[in-house]
Parts: sequence; C-alpha cells; structure tokens
Amino acid sequence: MTELLQYLVLIPLAGFVAGLLLPPKRETAIYWSAIATVGLNSLLFVGIFVLWAKSGFADQHADGPVLYSTNTANFSINFFFDRNSAVYFFVTSVLAFLVLTFSRYYIHREKGFKRFFNNLVFFYTGLCFILFAGNLETLFVGWEIISITSFFLIAYYRERYLPVKNALKVVSFYRVADVFLLLGIWMCHHYFERNIQFAEIREMYRNGLPIITEIGYQWAIPSMFLVVALVKSAQLPFSAWLPRAMEGPTTSSAIFYGSLAVHIGIFLLLRTEPLWADNTGFRVLFGTIGLLTTLVATFTARVQSNIKTQIAYSSIAQIGIIFIEVALGLNLLALVHFAGNAFLRTYQLLVSPSVLNYLIHDQFFNFIPPQQNATNTFSDKLRLTAYTWSIREWNLDGFAYRYLWKPLKFMGNHLSFVNAWSTVWLYLPLFSVGMYYAYHREQVPVFLGKWLPIALALVGVFLILKAFVKRNEAWRAWLLIVTSQLFIALAIAFNEQFDFAQIYLYLSGILVSAALGYWCFWLLRRRSEATTLDRYHGHSYEYPRIAILFMIASLGLTGFPITPTFVGEDIILGHVHENQYALTMLIAFSLILDGLAVMRIYARLFLGPHTKGYHEVAYRSS
Amino acid sequence: MGHATHPFDLKHVLHELRHYLPSQTPLKDFIHHNTLHAFQEMPFYEAIFTASSIFGYQVTFNVHEYRRLHQIGRIRDEILDRVIRERHGEREVKIWKERALSKPYKHEYEPRVGRLREAWKNLYRIDLDNLVQPLFFRILGSYLDQGIALWHFPFVDQGLLSAVRELEKEGLTGGFFRSGRVRALLFDEANCTIPHLLHLLVGDPALYEQYLFDQQFGHRGWSGMVATIEEKPDSVLYPKKISLEEAIVLELLLELDALDQEFGETQWKPLVETSRFEPLNLFAKVERTELQEVLMIWQDAFEWSYYDDVLAGLQHLRSIEPEQEQEDVPDKTFQAIFCLDEREGSLRRHLELTDTHCETLGCPGFFGVEFYFHHAGGKFYEKLCPLQVTPHHLIKETKGNHKREHEHFHSKHTHRVFGGFFSSLSLGLWSAVKLTLNLFRPRMSPAISNAFAHMQLDGELIIENTDPGQMENGLQIGYTVPEMTDRVENLLRGIGMVSNFADIVYVLGHGSSSANNPHHGAYDCGACSGRPGSVNARVFAFMANHAGVRTLLDSRGLHIPATTQFLGGLHDTAADEIAFFDEKTLAPANAEAHKRNRGIFEEALDLNAKERSRRFVSINTKQDIRKIREAIRRRSVSYFEPRPELGHGTNALCFVGHRSLTKGLFLDRRAFLNSYDYRTDPDGKLLLGVMRPLPPVCGGINLEYYFSRMDNQKLGAGPKLSHHVVGLIGVANSSDGDLRPGLPLQMIEVHDPIRLLILVEHDPEVVLRTIKMEPALYDWFDKGWVHLAAINPATNEFHVFKNGAFRPYKPSKEGIALAENIHDLLESAAEMETNHIVHATQENLPVHILSERQDARV
Repeated sequence: MTELLQYLVLIPLAGFVAGLLLPPKRETAIYWSAIATVGLNSLLFVGIFVLWAKSGFADQHADGPVLYSTNTANFSINFFFDRNSAVYFFVTSVLAFLVLTFSRYYIHREKGFKRFFNNLVFFYTGLCFILFAGNLETLFVGWEIISITSFFLIAYYRERYLPVKNALKVVSFYRVADVFLLLGIWMCHHYFERNIQFAEIREMYRNGLPIITEIGYQWAIPSMFLVVALVKSAQLPFSAWLPRAMEGPTTSSAIFYGSLAVHIGIFLLLRTEPLWADNTGFRVLFGTIGLLTTLVATFTARVQSNIKTQIAYSSIAQIGIIFIEVALGLNLLALVHFAGNAFLRTYQLLVSPSVLNYLIHDQFFNFIPPQQNATNTFSDKLRLTAYTWSIREWNLDGFAYRYLWKPLKFMGNHLSFVNAWSTVWLYLPLFSVGMYYAYHREQVPVFLGKWLPIALALVGVFLILKAFVKRNEAWRAWLLIVTSQLFIALAIAFNEQFDFAQIYLYLSGILVSAALGYWCFWLLRRRSEATTLDRYHGHSYEYPRIAILFMIASLGLTGFPITPTFVGEDIILGHVHENQYALTMLIAFSLILDGLAVMRIYARLFLGPHTKGYHEVAYRSS
Repeated sequence: MGHATHPFDLKHVLHELRHYLPSQTPLKDFIHHNTLHAFQEMPFYEAIFTASSIFGYQVTFNVHEYRRLHQIGRIRDEILDRVIRERHGEREVKIWKERALSKPYKHEYEPRVGRLREAWKNLYRIDLDNLVQPLFFRILGSYLDQGIALWHFPFVDQGLLSAVRELEKEGLTGGFFRSGRVRALLFDEANCTIPHLLHLLVGDPALYEQYLFDQQFGHRGWSGMVATIEEKPDSVLYPKKISLEEAIVLELLLELDALDQEFGETQWKPLVETSRFEPLNLFAKVERTELQEVLMIWQDAFEWSYYDDVLAGLQHLRSIEPEQEQEDVPDKTFQAIFCLDEREGSLRRHLELTDTHCETLGCPGFFGVEFYFHHAGGKFYEKLCPLQVTPHHLIKETKGNHKREHEHFHSKHTHRVFGGFFSSLSLGLWSAVKLTLNLFRPRMSPAISNAFAHMQLDGELIIENTDPGQMENGLQIGYTVPEMTDRVENLLRGIGMVSNFADIVYVLGHGSSSANNPHHGAYDCGACSGRPGSVNARVFAFMANHAGVRTLLDSRGLHIPATTQFLGGLHDTAADEIAFFDEKTLAPANAEAHKRNRGIFEEALDLNAKERSRRFVSINTKQDIRKIREAIRRRSVSYFEPRPELGHGTNALCFVGHRSLTKGLFLDRRAFLNSYDYRTDPDGKLLLGVMRPLPPVCGGINLEYYFSRMDNQKLGAGPKLSHHVVGLIGVANSSDGDLRPGLPLQMIEVHDPIRLLILVEHDPEVVLRTIKMEPALYDWFDKGWVHLAAINPATNEFHVFKNGAFRPYKPSKEGIALAENIHDLLESAAEMETNHIVHATQENLPVHILSERQDARV
C-alpha cells in the first residue's frame, strides 16, 4: 500500500491544475472537477484504509521523488500514514465534500466563483501534503500552500479595504510561523545531520530509544514547532487573527477558520510528538498556554456581539482544551475532540446568518430584561474588569501592531542611508565586488571571514526593512527586496565553502521573479496606471492577468514551495552552522520580512479599493 | 443648509447629521424607503448628482455601460433621439447624440466628505480609523446588542457615556482609555462635550462641522443605526438608551486617546496648528457637468425604452379586444384580493388562466386594517400596517399552544468552556450528519424564518370590541362594529368591488420563508412593516363576514349578498404555498366550492413556480412542473441558498386601474397592481386615498432597489455571503467593519434600476387635480422620483406627467410579441451570463400579449 500514498497528494494536485484550466463561467464544470478531486481521493483513502487495517494499523512510510540531493542535504518528498493522518483526513474529506457542495449554490454567480473553488482545492491539496507528509520538508510544502490560499480566501472580496488589510495581517502571522517551521527544520537538520523521517523517529520512540539527548535541543527543537502550532491554532498570544480571517464567503470561513486550518497546529504537535514526548516540562508549558487561551478566549467569546467572532473565540477556547488533552497524553480524546469541534464550528458558521431570525424570535417570547450590574463587591469589580478586557480582546489585536509592525516601520523609517539610488550606485556594485571575492576566497583576510557573512546579512536586512516602509514607486521597493536577497546569498557564499550551483539555483529563482515583477510594473505604467505604495490601487479589477503574473513573481521571490528559490532557501539554511545564532536570526528575519514586503506590494498594487469613478468604490470601513 | 460662515452650532449639525445618515432600522423590521430620502426635496437628477458629489455615491451607470445597453438594443435608438430632442431641442440632437454615443469621458471620484480628516494620514502619518474604529464599533455593538453576547454591556439603562464612565471608574484596571488626560476629560462633564473635544483635535470652529461629517460618514452604518435607535427606541426589543451625540463624544475621546498613545500626551497639536485648512462647504451647489447631462439622457432613454414597450403593449391589448375592458368577469367562481405586490402579479395571471371565471384584485397588503398584534405568549407587540400609520388598535391572539422548538446549534452553551466541550463531543459529530441532511434533504427547522409561523393557524384572535373601555397599554382591544364597517367599506370601494360579488372572496396576504437570511424582513409584506400579512388577511375576512358589519354596509349602500363569504389566507412567495384560515366557517356549499378552488390555486401555484424557476439556474424550467414546484419549496428552506426568492427585483411599474387594463399582458412580474375602478369613482373622490400610499410604499421599494443596484458598495449591503450578524440589529462584512444598511447584492442583481412608472386609469384632469391636493404626494411626481402617466378611458390615449402638466404620449414601439403558450414563453427565456447589468437585462422577457385561447394546463 505504501506506493499508493503518493497518489493522495497527486490526485488533488492534478485536480487543482485541471480546475485552473476551466473557463471561469463554467460553474458546473468547476464544481464537478472539485468534487471529483475530493471524491476520488476519498475513494483512494478508503482503499488505503482497508489495507492499513489489514496490516494491523501499522505506521506506513513511503519514499517519493528526490528534489535535490547532495552528500549533506537531501530534499525529498516522502509520505507517512498513521492514525492521526487517518482521522484528520476523514474530517477533511467530509468537510471538503460538504462545503464544496454548499458553495456550489452559495457562491453561484459570484465574480470569483472559479477563484474560490481553485483556492479550496489548492487548500485541500496543501492539507493532503501536511497530513501525509513523511518528513518536515514535505510538510512545509503543504504549510506554505495553506498560507497562500488563506491570503486569497481572506482577500476574496478584494475590492474592499478590510479583507485586504486583514489578509495581510493574517498572512504576516502565518509568515512568522512558516519561518519558525523552517528554523525547526534547520535545527533538526543540524542535530540529526540529515533529513529525518517521521517514520524513523516514531520507530525510535516506540522502541524507547532516546531521540534528542542534548538538553538544549530537547527544548529548542520542539519550541520551534510549538510556536508554529500556536500561531496556526490561534492560541495565545496570537489569537486575534482568527476572527479577522472571517472576511470571505461564509463557506470558506467555515472550512478554513472554523475547522481545518485552525486545528492543523494540533496536528503538527501530534506529528512531532516523539521529539517532546519525554519532556514533561514542555508538556506543562503548552498545556498551560492551552489553559490560558481557553480562559481568555471564553471570556472574549462571552462578550462578542458579532456572531462569527463569537464562534471563532469559542473554537479557540476548545482548541486550548485540545492542547491540554495533548499535553496530558490523551491523544485519542484530542482527535475525537478535534473532529467534534471542527464539525460543530463549521456548522455553526454556515448557519450563522439564521441566528438573527432565531434569536429575535426567541427574544420575542422569552425576553427578560437583564439585571443591571452592581459595583459593590470585589467580585463585581472583577467581573466589570474582565468585561472591559474582553471587549478589548485582551489587547491581543494590538499585539501584532505594537510588537511587529510598529518597530519594523520605526526601523525602516530611520534607515535613511538606504534607498533605491544608493542601491544602484552602492549596493549593487558592492554585491559585484562581493561575488568576485566569493570566487576568490583566498584573497579575503582571515579575520574578516567570521564577520563578513553577518555584515552582509545585516545589509540584506536593512535593505528589506526599507522596502517594507517604502511609500513611493513600487519598483524601488522591489529593487530593494531583490538586492537584499542577493546580499543574503552572498552572506552564505562567504559563510562556507560550497558548491556554487546551489547559490545559482537560489539566485535563478530570485532573478527570474525579479524580472517578471519589473515586466508587470512596466505593463501597468504603459497603461499610465499608478504604481505607488502609499495607498491601495485595486488594479486587479481592470488587469486580472497582470495581477496573476505579479502573483507568480511574488511567490517566486518569497520562496514559495516548488520554486527554485524555495529549494535554494532550504539548502542555504543548511549551510548556516548550528552555533551561528546571529546569522540564523538575521536570515530568518529577512525571510519573514521578504514575504511581508512582497505581499504588501502585491496587495497595494492589485487589491483594495481603487479611485476610479466609473464603478462603485467601497467604504474604507467595509 | 447654509454652512461654513456660521459659528459652530452643535444642535444644528446633529440635526443635519441625522438627516443625512441612513435611517434603516434594526433588521428585525425591514421597511423599504428611498435611500436618498435626505435629498428628496430636490429634483431627482439634481439630488442624485449632489449626493454623489458630496458622498461619492455611484448614482447612475457609467457611460460605457449605457453604451453597451444601447448596442444590445436594450436602449432603443428612437427613444434616445426622442429624449435628446425633449431635453435639448431638435437642433442639438446631433451634438448630444454624438456625445452620448462616442465622446470619451473620465469618471472622477472625488467626494467632498472625508477630505479634512485625511490630514491625520497625510500630515501626521497616523491611521486614526484603524486605531479607533475597531474598538468603537465593538463598544457600540456590545452596547446595542440584543442577545448574541452572553454577558450584556453593563449599565445600559444609564446611557452610553455614563456606562463607559462606570466601567472606567469601577474596573480594577480602568476601562477603555489609556491616556490619563482623556480619562480625566471623561469625568470632567463640563468639558466632555463635542465642541471642547473638537477644539483639542481640530482647533477651528469653522472646521468642526466638516470634521464631524467626515468622521460620521466614515462609518455611516453605525452612526445611522445609533441615530435611528435614538429616534425610535422601540425599534429594538431590549431597550437601550443611546444618542448620536454621546456616540460622537465617545468617538472623539477614543481619537484623543489614540493620538495621546501614539505621540504622547500633549506632544501633538490640533490640525489647524499643523497646516492651513480652507473650510469646505459640503453642501455647496453642485454645478451640472456635461457628463452628467449625458448620463441623464442615457438614464431617461433606458427607462423610456422599457416604459414605451409597456405602453405599446397596453395600447395593443386595447386595440385587439376593445370590448373586453368594459366587461366584468361573467359567472364568477371566486374572487381573490391580493397584495398589490408585483410578485403576486404572476400568481394572479396564472389563476385567471387556469380558471377564466375567477377575478383577482389588488390593494396594499394590510387590507386597510391597521393594528398592533399581540402573539399568544409574546412579550411585545408587532405593528402590522405601513410605517407611516400609527395604529390605535390591538389584535390579540389567544389560545393556540405555541410550542417553540429549539435549535441547539444556536445554543449559548456551545460558547461556554464545558458546554463547548460536551457540545463538540456530542452535537459536533451530529452536526456533520445534520449538514449532510440539510444539503440533500432541506426541510423546515426552528432556525428558519417561516412565513406560516407568524400566526398560529389554530390560534384564535380577538378582533371584535364590544366595550370601548377595553384597553391595553393605551390601545383599544379589537374594533367596534362601526370601525370595522368603515374599514371594510373603504377597502372595497377603493378597489371598485361594489357589486357582482362571487360566493367566496379570498383575502390573501403574503410572506416569505427563507433560511440563513438576516434580510428576511425585506422579503415580507412592506405594507405590514416587513412582516407576513396573514393576520391582516384573517382580520379583514372576519370583519367583512361580520353580520353587524354587513347590516351597516347595507345601510351605506354597499350590498354584499348573504351567500358571499370572505376567507383569509397567506401566500408564501418563496415556497409558493398557500394556507387558508378559518376554513371551517364556510357554509357547506361554499366549502364544496372551496375544495374545487384549492385545486385551481394549486395549479396556478405550479405555474407560478415554473415562472419563477426560469431565473434560478439550479432549477431546470423544462422539467416536470411538479418537480419544479418541489425544488422551489426546497429552496425556501435551504441554508445554502442565498436567493430563496428574488424579492422585488425588476419592479418598474405600478398600475392603478381595473384588472382588464393589463389582463392578458405578460409583464414578467414587474408591475404593482392596485385595483381601482374609475367607473365607480367618476370624479376621483376615492383616488387620493388609493394613490397616497403608492409613492412611499412602491416608490420606496423601487428607489431602494435603484440605489442598492447602482452602488452596491456604498448604498447597498454588498454580497451577503460574507455577512456577519451583529447584535441582532444589522450585518457587517467583517469583525472590525461598519454596519451595512441597504440591500445585499443577491437581492438586486436581476434588477434594472429604473424609476417607478405609475399609470392611472382615469381622466388626466382628475388625476392632476387629485395629486395636487397633497403637496407631499405631488412632489414625488413633480420632482421626478416617480414617473406618472394616465390613460384616459374615454379616448384610450396616454398622457405623461411632466413639468406640472399631462402631455399626450404615443408609444413608438410596434409589433408586440404574441405568446401562444405560457410554457413555451417561460422556457424561451435566456439565462444571464453574469450579473453585470448588460447580461442581467438580457434575462428579462419582453412584454407579450398572452393568447386567450391557450390551454394553460397543457
């Protein structure tokens, strides 16, 4: 049966590609292609399940294609199948099937009908990658797919301001998570000195073999994955993104944020269980976070006057409990709880518009004016305090703004020595010089060797910080981003003697994407359209094709899976040594920023409200 | 409206704000009204272009769209020529036509509102809206919340600001403010006023009004809701003390707090100290541009291209069957009085085709009986009459065991920690099953709005009042016999129903069942304040059957035969089902006839379902008619169906006249049909009463659809797929978003935004005299918000009202299509490719003459 596993991702991938080729107005065809994809995959799953049952429910591992291989690095797409995959896939399939059918009528005649279904199928593909991943690299592919489809589904109503703003907000959280996942992979790579497979660590764990023996790594590695899980499952302190993700049609909110995407953090924890299973302190840590989340989210849900936000926080509270269950080792309960919560919240979200009629009717017959609050006792005061905090969402929404965006903007704005011109006259020539010395490393003084990579990476970070706050022409910011990536590559080149082919792989991705991006700017400017970054322009309304082209360029530049940049990114991190914390941090930081800066440019140019008077302009508050 | 030069006059500005803010009430009542009611004292085009310049609304299509409508023939060339000729004279036809057809124009978007407040962003680099609005909306939402939250906002009986103060004072860590200065201001009631706060923020009184307009129109949904609840406190069931003034104070405080947080207390300066601002008079006169002239030409041509078809159809109908008009239906099997609602037009047509001896009539769906209704076991009254009417009577429902079922998925337990835990483990798995059932076998459930549940079928009503002293909360319980007689007489005379009564007269209200639909009130009967008309129908039937009433009517010269019985009923316009009330009161002979009539109704409902199905892609119009009917019924209880029905979409016409005026004409459910017989009212004494409600009710519906269609982002509610229900009072698009008044996209996408044409069957002189009696009524026509035409029964000529007078009109369309078979006609309809206006109009069926000989039953 193991050779069948790969088809669980190949079928959705094929279905996604098929869906892309269908004409946008053929709603029935688009729907059936999506349903066929999910249906076929579910049938295959049933077959695999039977075989799996026959094998006595033993874990299954299968090797897939090798994308890249050297003596030190091996990047292959492998598969793994166990109870967790089975339960998650069962819930995924049922919900995907139901929500797709629901959406067929619900989304009917929407301008973005095809976009919506393509995104749902791609999201499903991403989930399949995650659920059946045999190693962290494969899982990462799925992870990125989920991030990008999230962005598109939140910003589904791209002509309005808030969906676009919130899509960027959510994706910036996701980007942080993705980079932590990458760091986790990097640490594992260093610790195990190869790409570990889930099957082998599971096997070691079963046999009682120690997996991580160094105390530092016992905490560091699982902590990386924990951050990822906390972000994705909207646990403290990252909870506030979840209600803000409910911007698209109710059906996508239901399947993404009511159920599947938000429970995937739990899956990651369960998947990496052998890495922390014996670390009681770590269990206490995330169990406590789960508990705190449950408390805070329950209070917040109690005061919500917005039905979808209320469901979101109720769901977060239950996921907090699931964290506790996992911490207590009650994995089976956690799985059942996951399934129940996923179904319940999906259903609640789908029928949420009917709450108005139902509760008004209920109020009509049963209303009793609530008692007014007292202020006498301490517990009265405590209650009022909790009320205000809950209305303010415990300041969780301001969290990202205060601790992420604002400092970044502050730094970016104070880097006056970086701008597009200095890039052309200073940094690009500097890069050429750098390249020369990278080839002729024997000419570089030894004392520089240790600091040069850090200095170069720092320049890269400066450049990208500046790109992040640019408000004028988009091409300038784009130039800064590209140059920054070049400097990161250069930093790696100086860090270690290695095959230049790897750097070229990385750079080829960057440069092709960069050129594609410039072509898009040129196309827009030729049509005398504005390409500044000080406001949203919403060009996708008039130029959907340029928007798609630019999206591809953006994905390339941010290292989206399957692009050369991505493979390069993974390999490059492999060349950073385990004790080079500064360099690691800088590179990780630049990767986060790179993603954010690129998505920002895309959003500013192609999404949001426009200023043309010939069709309706949405309010900024909508 | 003079501004700018005045010093800041708070009272005046608050009044102006209330005037211009949307006035939609909380969604439990949905009453259609002219979205731009604030501009109604101006002529239509001046009003809409002024509103557009001030607030940035899109009020017409753009030039390209009109041109494409012209290319596909939806706007007729000869009509375009005629409109230009009328507007600019024969000599300029060529110039203006060229401008309309090919001159390039640039549509600018530069609303006056919002320019001052942009300074925060441009000069201070701070996004005040992002910092303030999410919290501000959340506070307002929680304060006004009717029952979503489990914890209610404390101290709502004290008013918004006092409640906020209490929270600030009693909370252990303070309340919503972080700046010490702002906190002090909050408690300093002498300075916690709008002028003082504006002084801190803006600095120059000449700019205050503009600033407040910028601020409040940055979230017109919430501001409008606050102003509406302030003005109509009983529009919510859980009473909330709030005022627009308080809300503005709170918002200003939050703005100060955000600025203090960002820049440090007193580290920043008010706007006027940073830059020079020229006060802008938002309401300054808007100069007409050439583009606007062109748009006016196009819109007129668009409208008249359709009206002309209709008038030509009417003319044709008269020419082929000249005697028909005089003729009353012979040997009536039954009569049925419907609401004038244009959705009932098709059912009436199908009834008449199925049984050529029945007669149908139309009047506003509250049937002239205005009252509050008290449900058995209900804690509140419901108003069941048009918005403008204030009833003094109460109808009470007694008995009837109102057993309400519960929907556990909406239960608050699921939002508690342990409740949520156990719900996930129990309800959770069940919900997967339930969702599957809902998808493949949709059926009625407690969470679905059910038109028939508005009144219990087996309940009893107290309708008659025997002792005028019987009062409840200032309302008289039931009507006395003379009061009942007045109402019955008024209605019957108004619709010209004074002789030749059939044995059974059905009185049919309408309502609409739908699932997952916060706007369900917008689908119900507008004349019953957005509720089903079942109680009104039943009450009217009771009155008209009352022996005392009959005697009194006799003495007033209105004789209803003793054999004639009135029977109330309700038509569900979404599910296409009918229920009748009090059937057991029928005399045996009538009961027998009623049994047969029910069969006629069923057949007509089948046909009606088929007619409606042509606009629903999910239903194949060519399949077996029974299957279509079933699909239509399922649609009304399907959670996944955002279009249970299409509401008033495509409404365009309103006929005031005898049924024979339009009988046999296929108008595609676009006409309100109000019965009126000029023969029983030669000098127009009754006409005023008949016409008075039409512009506000039908015109209100029409204009709300018009504006929601033209600008679905600003004046409509946008696609309903992403709506969040907030506080049970409204919908927003986002957890941090503004409320969205207006109609959602799914209601207006089939609509052709053209103004209503009211056509009266009477001598134009009489009509003119009638409308001049009431200035408010006259203004609707004179200012062009609603078109008016008359057909003179003596000459069969049309007259169109314009510039204060009726002028003769000759339809230019020739060759009205003839439909031999209604089934073929319905099946021939095109399906819209997208919901863009050019495609949407292609879906409409043109005016047809229905052949009399056809057999509808096939």
